Amino acid sequence: MGLLQNIIFGVITGSYIAIAAIGFTLIYGIVNMINFAYGEYLTLGAFIGLFAATALPIPLPVAVLVAMAGGGLVSIVLARAFFTPINQTGPVPLLLTSIGLGIALRNAIRLVAGRQARYYDTEATTFRFDAIPDLSVGSVDLLGGFFVTSEQLIVVGSAVVVFIAIHGLLTRTDVGIAMRAMGDNESLARVRGVDTQLIRDSVWILAGVLAGLSGVLLAIQTNVNATTGFSEILQILSAAILGGAGSPYGAILGAYLIGIILALSTAFLPSGMGGLSSAIAFAILILVLLVKPSGITGTEVREA
Amino acid sequence: MSSDNTAHVNRRAFLTIAGGSGIAGLSGCVGFGGEGDGNGGSGGSGGSSGPETITLGQPGALSGQWDFLQPGISQGTDAAVSQINEAGGPLGAELEVVRRDTAVDPQEARTVATQLVENDDVVALIGLFSSEINPLWDFLQDLSTPVVTPWPGSTFLDTRGGDKRTPTDISDDEWVWRTVVGDTVHTSGSAAFAMEEGHETLGVINGNTEGERSYVEGFLSAYEANGGTVAERVEVELGASSYQSALSRLFEADFDAFLVSLPQESAITALSDWSDGDYGRQPILSDTLTSQAVIDQVGSDLEGAWGATPGQSGPNYDTFEAAYSEAGDADMNAWTPPAWDAVQVTALAIERAGEATPEAVQRNIGPVSRSGGTKVSTFAEGKEALANGEEINYEGAATPVNFTQHGNVFGSVSINTAQNGEFTQTGEVSAADVREFVEEGEY
Repeated sequence: MGLLQNIIFGVITGSYIAIAAIGFTLIYGIVNMINFAYGEYLTLGAFIGLFAATALPIPLPVAVLVAMAGGGLVSIVLARAFFTPINQTGPVPLLLTSIGLGIALRNAIRLVAGRQARYYDTEATTFRFDAIPDLSVGSVDLLGGFFVTSEQLIVVGSAVVVFIAIHGLLTRTDVGIAMRAMGDNESLARVRGVDTQLIRDSVWILAGVLAGLSGVLLAIQTNVNATTGFSEILQILSAAILGGAGSPYGAILGAYLIGIILALSTAFLPSGMGGLSSAIAFAILILVLLVKPSGITGTEVREA
Repeated sequence: MSSDNTAHVNRRAFLTIAGGSGIAGLSGCVGFGGEGDGNGGSGGSGGSSGPETITLGQPGALSGQWDFLQPGISQGTDAAVSQINEAGGPLGAELEVVRRDTAVDPQEARTVATQLVENDDVVALIGLFSSEINPLWDFLQDLSTPVVTPWPGSTFLDTRGGDKRTPTDISDDEWVWRTVVGDTVHTSGSAAFAMEEGHETLGVINGNTEGERSYVEGFLSAYEANGGTVAERVEVELGASSYQSALSRLFEADFDAFLVSLPQESAITALSDWSDGDYGRQPILSDTLTSQAVIDQVGSDLEGAWGATPGQSGPNYDTFEAAYSEAGDADMNAWTPPAWDAVQVTALAIERAGEATPEAVQRNIGPVSRSGGTKVSTFAEGKEALANGEEINYEGAATPVNFTQHGNVFGSVSINTAQNGEFTQTGEVSAADVREFVEEGEY
């Protein structure tokens, strides 16, 4: 079995998760809430992109941008309507509100769009690299030939662009620096003149934009339906916690770890246990947290 | 005062008479007086004392992961009801169907079945999937209303259901009948066809849910019993964003063909991954995957893939097809002709019983469907034969509808192959051939 090929599969899965997990963890770190409705933001992004690509219709790359903009708009509108008014009540009311909002959104989407799956009209080209020599250890081939498709390259490429953009935003812009300051100590940031509500709004928009992008990429690989994002929320949450809740860099690391664990457990677990790959990923999450409760990157996990 | 009293008494007397008349009328409508022997055979009443309407309940997949199959079922059901009413209706009454959504969720199905029986006064349920019937088995027995369903393939029902060939004695009955051939039958047909095609070693990818496992177990039981071997089997979670790791593992093994048993959405993702990875080899699809959506999304690489579905080759398929085509333009699927048969056989059971009660329907489903009587293809023919004092044998659209003791039917199995962008029937395994795979009394 090709380890290299399976790691590539894991990296691709990790890329979907990572883009969304950054948005999720930014909300956690700066707004101080676990947003269980975040999966529905992915779903809405996927539907907006599909509508733009098929009903308008516009080229897919432009539709992706529309989905990102739509995701950002949806996120800030929902935040202003449901979360900002109860911002001061603490993380538990915010968490419960997000659970309720998620259920309401999911059913509203199902009501409007129906239950049937819809598909983006895309074509993938496969690139094969069969000349890579084998490097076998027991029954495992560490190298060996592999393939990637154009869709998979776009997913990984999009993730890399997002990582660079987020890094630039957080380290090179006033808004990004203010976000980090708020994540570290909101009161101190306010005393220093940071407009905390403006920064919160910026985080909501940014998280919505990332959800829109992740939703479209996920939908291109699978389909669009009312549960497209909801089915990913546990992996997104796990990636954020595994990496260190509140840390975008930790979320990226956690996402790729989960993606690779999922791929390798499917490939190497005894026959018949492949259906347990998610359980294995979560078992490893629990083990990591037992050893290092603050997650891999060591950011403090706040009480929620 | 007296005049007031007189007026009062007169009004009361009037209301008493009117109420009594109303109750008497209603009792006729809802078929009270179910103490009759229910053996029917009198040819039905059709007289003025019969009910005005008789209601059947259809728990349906109006939403949920199987909702894409429901339009064909609804149209097939409505076409049958329409034809039955044109023929005068059972007992001269208007036949109605109340359709409620279960989303194929067992808890919802329990609520819906209760509502249909308690609120809508249905005399039979003409729906319910395996994944609803199996967990609700005891509940459905307590409900004591016949479930005549076109959906379930589960092997769980192979030895459960039916009247045990003692139609007059309902004490040993189990209240489920299925008008579609069970998984045991069409997985056996599929396995037989795979062996015929020379696929002697097999890879398997299946979902980790009961339905998918059950399908594969049924297939492999017949396949291995006939000398086939399984080189590798990979079980996966449903709804994953990618199945590449599972496919990579599966295709490490050496085999002739691979069996895919997944729900449609997951199967499309997995087969698209298979196409992208250029893994090749012969795909064999489970029954629900021989749909246009699968070809449309996976593309031309699926050319030559085949799957076995319950045959649409009952003795009176043409009668059904003509009525179905007139009724609308919903896509037909493998469960559509069995839905037509479910309505026809239930209406004939009511007609033979001469009354519209669940017990009467239960007692008469076997007698109107089993061999021995005058063969009839529609409700109209059956109604006429019963009126002439004859016993009848309904022969259906999907199968001959000869219910076994466990309320199951045998039928042929269709082989549908992806050709030129659509699934086309390219072969058939006869009911007689399939029977060889199934032991007597075990189905």
